[in-house]
Amino acid sequence: MSSDTTNSKGSNVGLIALVVGVIGIAIALFGFMQGWNNDDARPLMSWLIGFAFWLSIAIGMLFLTQIWYVFHARWPVIIRRQCEHFMAAFPYLLVLFLPLLAIPFLHDNPGVLWKWMNGANELPGHGTVGEDPLYTWKSPFLNIPFFAIRAIGIFGVFIVISGLLRKFSFDTDTTGDIKNTHKARILSSLGLFLCAVAMTMGAIDWFKSLEYHWFSTMYGVWFFAACMRAALASIIILTVILAAKGYLKGILKQAHRYDVACMMLAFTVFWAYISFSQYFLIYSANIPEETFWYNIREKNFDGGLNSWWWVSMGLIFGHFLTPFLCLLWYKTKVVVWRTVGISIWILAFHILDLYWNIVPGKLVAPDHAPGYLVRQFSISIYDIAALVGIGGICIFAMCRSMKKAEPIPVRDPNIQTSLDYTE
Amino acid sequence: MSESYGIIASFPDTPSFFHAAEKVRDAGYKKWDTYSSFPVHGMPAAQGQPRSKVPVFTFCGGLFGFTLGTFIVWYMNAFDYPLIIRGQPFFSPVFPFPIMYELTILLSAFGTLGGMFIMNLLPQHYNSLFNSEKFLEVSGDRLVIAIEARDAKYDPEATRRFLEEIGGTDIEEVSA
Repeated sequence: MSSDTTNSKGSNVGLIALVVGVIGIAIALFGFMQGWNNDDARPLMSWLIGFAFWLSIAIGMLFLTQIWYVFHARWPVIIRRQCEHFMAAFPYLLVLFLPLLAIPFLHDNPGVLWKWMNGANELPGHGTVGEDPLYTWKSPFLNIPFFAIRAIGIFGVFIVISGLLRKFSFDTDTTGDIKNTHKARILSSLGLFLCAVAMTMGAIDWFKSLEYHWFSTMYGVWFFAACMRAALASIIILTVILAAKGYLKGILKQAHRYDVACMMLAFTVFWAYISFSQYFLIYSANIPEETFWYNIREKNFDGGLNSWWWVSMGLIFGHFLTPFLCLLWYKTKVVVWRTVGISIWILAFHILDLYWNIVPGKLVAPDHAPGYLVRQFSISIYDIAALVGIGGICIFAMCRSMKKAEPIPVRDPNIQTSLDYTE
Repeated sequence: MSESYGIIASFPDTPSFFHAAEKVRDAGYKKWDTYSSFPVHGMPAAQGQPRSKVPVFTFCGGLFGFTLGTFIVWYMNAFDYPLIIRGQPFFSPVFPFPIMYELTILLSAFGTLGGMFIMNLLPQHYNSLFNSEKFLEVSGDRLVIAIEARDAKYDPEATRRFLEEIGGTDIEEVSA
């Protein structure tokens, strides 16, 4: 299947991605060191945003692969292989997470990014983290050793499960042994639970604990919805590029794109449902420990609207309403440039959603005046460098995997159904 | 003979049935249909039918439901009998949202159901095709194409010959 031309093309893209990735990483690391030395959280968040964006795509693809196995889905077999290629990025993502994991162990102020990591960190208005009952009660979970163990466990789950799924699928190419498919199905039914726990833990540890005061039982589900949307949009873009390059030409049909786009519509609604429900429950309960999280995303301490209010409106209308209305139309789901356009749109707003979840924070007001400051919305060069750099490394990992295995699972038991798939 | 409803022709197997439909489409007939006891994939395209208009009914139903939900809550809580609940405003787009979207979903489902009935011209208790004994066998194993007399291109002799040419058998005229 994979001709020499495809191989050489793949290696070129991989090499370019690696070079771009290394340059991006170098710039982002420079920013990271600036933040590190100046005790400034914002450049560290650039790294976290870039990491979160590419991790969310990989997690979404891991979930989709397992869901397709569990439901014995026949149509997405040719798409599943592209997900398996992208899942090669997990070990690289672990390496790219290490700078963040180093903060609590090597930095003078372990709480520079996640402020609960330093008991001496001052809180706006009331004492320090160590004196804060909301921290002391949460400390059996939120402590540095357990945080590190969880991070290793989370990546362990992702790397082992994605690695095994890749191995089973690639083995089938050479042996044609149906036992591989059976093993992948059994692993997926177990793996879905493990990945759900790992993903929830990751979302709580890395994003939610930035504001450790907060309570929300829906945060993990929000991240799941975000991951699925990112993965589905990436799948559309990736498969369309592969079909245009000749790699999936004549293999990827309108029916495949249509079904992925239908799932995009479904998860657009699901994301809105989850995001709104989280807001709605907190709004209805009206407890200060919970509402502050939304308050700082709308208003400054003095009650005036801040930059996050515009981002919030942007998410409602740009991340939900626009893709929802566009994807209702049949044409958006089948005309290639429209589907790709809305996929790029969703990915762009997914990044904005990550900003909205990661960046805002309560800061101590100057001269310890009453109240607090809100870290405002901004886009720095380091954000872009981290997004491009980490992305370059992930795409390099994917291209490397593409050179090793067939472009589609040629001996999968369901490959013919997938190739013949029609609407 | 009484007034004619149209001509029906039977086809021996699904492929010839399918390709015959394509030929009727290409011959330019408009008022005609295919009848089988099972769905034939790709038949709407072979008949040259555009995509269903039912989604338009769904969308209108949903939009109406959303507006209705908003109006109900505004009318009851903010206009007719203002109520203070948990210090929330009388009206805001946040707290009544469950009602707004539940009505959106409910009325878009009604829109879909109603739209399906309207577009399928249902309910329809009588059709002249039932006058033909052969047509009744469609619920068994017969595959039938019927070209109606009200089609602009319809001509009793020419249409009968055309159906013979494209492989139709058991051709008969059905009275209205």
